[in-house]
Amino acid sequence: MPEVGRLAVCLALLFAAYGVLAGVAGGLRRRAHLVRSAEHAAYAVFGLVVIATAILLRALLRHDFTLEYVAAYSSSTLPTQYTVAALWGGQKGSLLFWSLLLTLFTTIVQVQNRERNRALMPFVTATLMTVAVFFLSLLVFVTDPFERLPVAAREGADLNPLLQNYWMMIHPPSLYTGYVSASVPFAFAIAALATGQLGDQWTRSVRRWALFSWAFLSLGNLLGARWAYEVLGWGGYWAWDPVENAAFMPWLVSTAYLHSVMIQEKRDMLRVWNVVLVLLTFALTIFGTFLTRSGVISSVHSFTQSGLGPFFIGFLVFVLLVAGGLLAYRLPELRTPATMESFLSREAAFLFNNLVLVGIAFAVFWGTVFPVLSEWVRGVKITVGPPFFNRVNAPLGLVLLFLAGVGPAIAWRRASPRNLRRAFAGPVAAGVVAAAALALARVPLGYAFATFALGVFVLGTIGQEFWRGMRARQAMLHESAPRALGRLVGKNRRRYGGYLIHVGVVSIFVAIAGSNAFRIEAQETLKPGDEMVAGKFRLRYERVTSEENAHLSRLAAEVSVWRDGRQIATLAPEKRFYKKPQQPTTEVAMRSTLGEDLYLVLGSYDPPSGLVTLQAYVNPLVSWLWIGGVIMAGGTLVTMWPSAAERRAVAYELGRAQVPAE
Amino acid sequence: MRRTVLALALILAAPAVAATQQEVEESLTCQCGCGLTVHACNHLGCPSGEPMKKEIAERLARGEDKDAILAAFRTRYGEKVLSSPTFRGFNWLAWVTPFAAILAGASGVTLVIRRWVRAPAPPPAAPSPVAGELRQRLARELEDMDREP
Repeated sequence: MPEVGRLAVCLALLFAAYGVLAGVAGGLRRRAHLVRSAEHAAYAVFGLVVIATAILLRALLRHDFTLEYVAAYSSSTLPTQYTVAALWGGQKGSLLFWSLLLTLFTTIVQVQNRERNRALMPFVTATLMTVAVFFLSLLVFVTDPFERLPVAAREGADLNPLLQNYWMMIHPPSLYTGYVSASVPFAFAIAALATGQLGDQWTRSVRRWALFSWAFLSLGNLLGARWAYEVLGWGGYWAWDPVENAAFMPWLVSTAYLHSVMIQEKRDMLRVWNVVLVLLTFALTIFGTFLTRSGVISSVHSFTQSGLGPFFIGFLVFVLLVAGGLLAYRLPELRTPATMESFLSREAAFLFNNLVLVGIAFAVFWGTVFPVLSEWVRGVKITVGPPFFNRVNAPLGLVLLFLAGVGPAIAWRRASPRNLRRAFAGPVAAGVVAAAALALARVPLGYAFATFALGVFVLGTIGQEFWRGMRARQAMLHESAPRALGRLVGKNRRRYGGYLIHVGVVSIFVAIAGSNAFRIEAQETLKPGDEMVAGKFRLRYERVTSEENAHLSRLAAEVSVWRDGRQIATLAPEKRFYKKPQQPTTEVAMRSTLGEDLYLVLGSYDPPSGLVTLQAYVNPLVSWLWIGGVIMAGGTLVTMWPSAAERRAVAYELGRAQVPAE
Repeated sequence: MRRTVLALALILAAPAVAATQQEVEESLTCQCGCGLTVHACNHLGCPSGEPMKKEIAERLARGEDKDAILAAFRTRYGEKVLSSPTFRGFNWLAWVTPFAAILAGASGVTLVIRRWVRAPAPPPAAPSPVAGELRQRLARELEDMDREP
């Protein structure tokens, strides 16, 4: 069976290579049958990759330890859901999984565009198939997931215990979905450059894909944070690890694109810039994969290190050369006469928003590669750790938050003094009142203070937008308040969905600022019945319980939690020992409320004396990180939902196309 | 103006003065390979983090200041023990480049906007009368459809 899998991957590579050639040839010579043939090849590639993936999954589920991959990343006692997750738990599997997503998205794009974008499609297919050729070549020539062991293993080495967690079931697929779907806007951008059809057509065609990719990158990052928070047990959720940075950078650039493309739609400006952002997002996803795979930069994500680095760098250089060359070739046509009426306009606010987003992405990139640079230039190893990233990015983040409050409310083209007063008097007043309240509550002046006050300002502008829109509908159309609100959002999904996303972003900012500024830590060694204090909580260590099965053994410390003389919870932080990889892990116990998380880690246990060392963290406002994520997801759904107006716009476009040539 | 902004950025980026145990711990990287700062690393029995924490406490108790403690660790482990680059020499670039890039970008954006604001609006393209009429009608009807309810 595995041989069939290998054959499927080899055939897929051949079909993909054919797809590239037929696509380019058909596009250049305008041969419709060649183009169709390229598309059919892409469908075949998808089918073959599905077969290969199914075979690998079957081997995992049947514990076929004759396969190197199965023996390395699973075991006969691994729970089924993690056996499925082992598909992306190791490098070979994750490359296959990547190919699966890529070819799936290619198939969807082709089905969506059977009758549309016919001029662009040959190059879209060719670009996506080029990416597929790269990943499939790795699977065929470098790192074969169906490799047999010389002698079958009796038992598997098991999945890394840190990955045996339910967040790990969804974090990597979500991040991969975000990464891989960024290929679609990239392919359309390349197609637009290749054909010279540089108008709005391609941006409009990829709007949903860009949002989809962005949404999954957001989700992937947040789920990763959640995983780190629960599994790594150091009390935090983000450590500016190179691989976290690798996932964060494309998100930042993609966010910039989603904003600047609105200027192109409204004012037909910034065509070059938008192409650059799309190309850069894709390049950063490849760079991110390179970081995870290469081990050039040391990272806690070294689950899947290997010698693949040079291949990824090679592909990255290829992508940058082709994309850069096409861009340079089309540059004269891309330039549009741009005009702007004032610095006080939404266009200008968006330009500065782009500057800050790309600036943060650059700062993160710079900090991530600086150790390598230092070693080249000075021959000295240095560390660029969390303190660097926090210090550099915190002020930039505040500017961004401020702009998030300005952008939605300021007028397009030119904001008159009257317009500014009308738009900002209320929100600024709200921000000032919030600042005064914070000062009265003796919140120290600092980033948290500024974030909270600015957050209120941003929520003020957004709330005002909703309120005014609703009132206008009520006045003009005599609708009830809830109906007016629902209709308002329903009729302008992109706009109000975007505002909702901003609400989620504010929530995340508040969580980050609060949990960094006001966390409390305590550590003590206790014997049964002893107590310790963490902030307003009193913790009493009651007893230790233990449990053992074939897969792991666990040890839990039962801790009762008291506040104001009342017992409010019992928590049981654990230490686990996974038998196959002979590796201990800590399982955090948490009591989460909207105000704060009480986060307990069982540090150590000494059986003879019964002494345990407990580490307690009180992390304020962390819940708002996850709540913000849910709000963002909701907002994204609102934004992506197709509306009647949009269908009319498509009809309008078709109508325009039929009007005699202008 | 630009210089003030740069100075402001550097002040915001600069560490505070008072040295506490936590501050020193956060300035050092744990050498066990976890990639966290000594403060964040909470592996009990960590062969690197725990002795470092202890040593920091002892040195602070002896009245050593932050710089002296960091220097001592740096001599022992090399520069990589510091959790962020120093402000000196080549490392200075680590701190300044992001802000310099953003300032350069900001002046670029400002210049571009200024040029666009001054540029006269392009003359409206003359559409063919038929197409113009059809488009106007289409726009009118679409607007009617958009009008509620």
